[in-house]
Amino acid sequence: MIQLLLVLHVLVGAALLGAITHQAFSVARRPTAPGRSFVERFRGVNSPTFTNVIVLLFFVNVVLGSLLYPQYRVEVRPTLEDLQLRAANGIFETKEHFAAVALGLLPAYWLAWRPPLLPVRAETRKYLTWMLAFVAWWSFVVGELLNNIKGLFP
Amino acid sequence: MMPSARMNVFSIVFGVAYMGLFFWSERYHTALFRYYPVLKSFSRDDLALEEAGPAILWYSWLFGATVISSVAAFVVPRSLAERIGQVWVWGVPAALLIVILVYERRWFY
Repeated sequence: MIQLLLVLHVLVGAALLGAITHQAFSVARRPTAPGRSFVERFRGVNSPTFTNVIVLLFFVNVVLGSLLYPQYRVEVRPTLEDLQLRAANGIFETKEHFAAVALGLLPAYWLAWRPPLLPVRAETRKYLTWMLAFVAWWSFVVGELLNNIKGLFP
Repeated sequence: MMPSARMNVFSIVFGVAYMGLFFWSERYHTALFRYYPVLKSFSRDDLALEEAGPAILWYSWLFGATVISSVAAFVVPRSLAERIGQVWVWGVPAALLIVILVYERRWFY
């Protein structure tokens, strides 16, 4: 069951990264003409359409993470402590706090992307999207790092 | 009132409440409740590690922050909620992310 949840956690995280990264690039600068390069096309997506999916994926992934947390606390963290990998413990601590703060951001984020896209909310849209993207990437990288830590630090 | 202002209040207060509860736990070694994964049960008491295994406090911070921010979003007057500047909506959580990074650097020395 735990393995299934872990795989699901990773898959949902990967889907979230795809959606939030598209949106994070798109708010950086609006293209004035249809893009030709990969980056321009990547950035030129219709950002508002991603919003509901991002909220759902983020929420689901925090729930999945919270279901996996007891296993981490009982089996993984003591191993990290035995190996004296304080930094590994530390990056997980930051992950759990970042995820919590980002979870609370979802209502404001959803509102900022709610049509019509009011110019007064443009900065809010941009910065909240970047913060969610940062947290999603941080959480994914930290999760993968800890999942493979025995191979990385034999 | 449109749901808009309430949502912004919720988001601003949630992060502050979460970090407030976290620092309260850090300072006074207490929490609203703890989850003991070895026992598979919740408790308000700080049980001995040898008997109960490690405790998880994260759920209590999330729960507390959800309750506090929901109440705040409900009771903050409409006029006040709608006057909250947009900079607060992203500025407060951005500041919290920095606070987290600064506080948690203790693990890296």
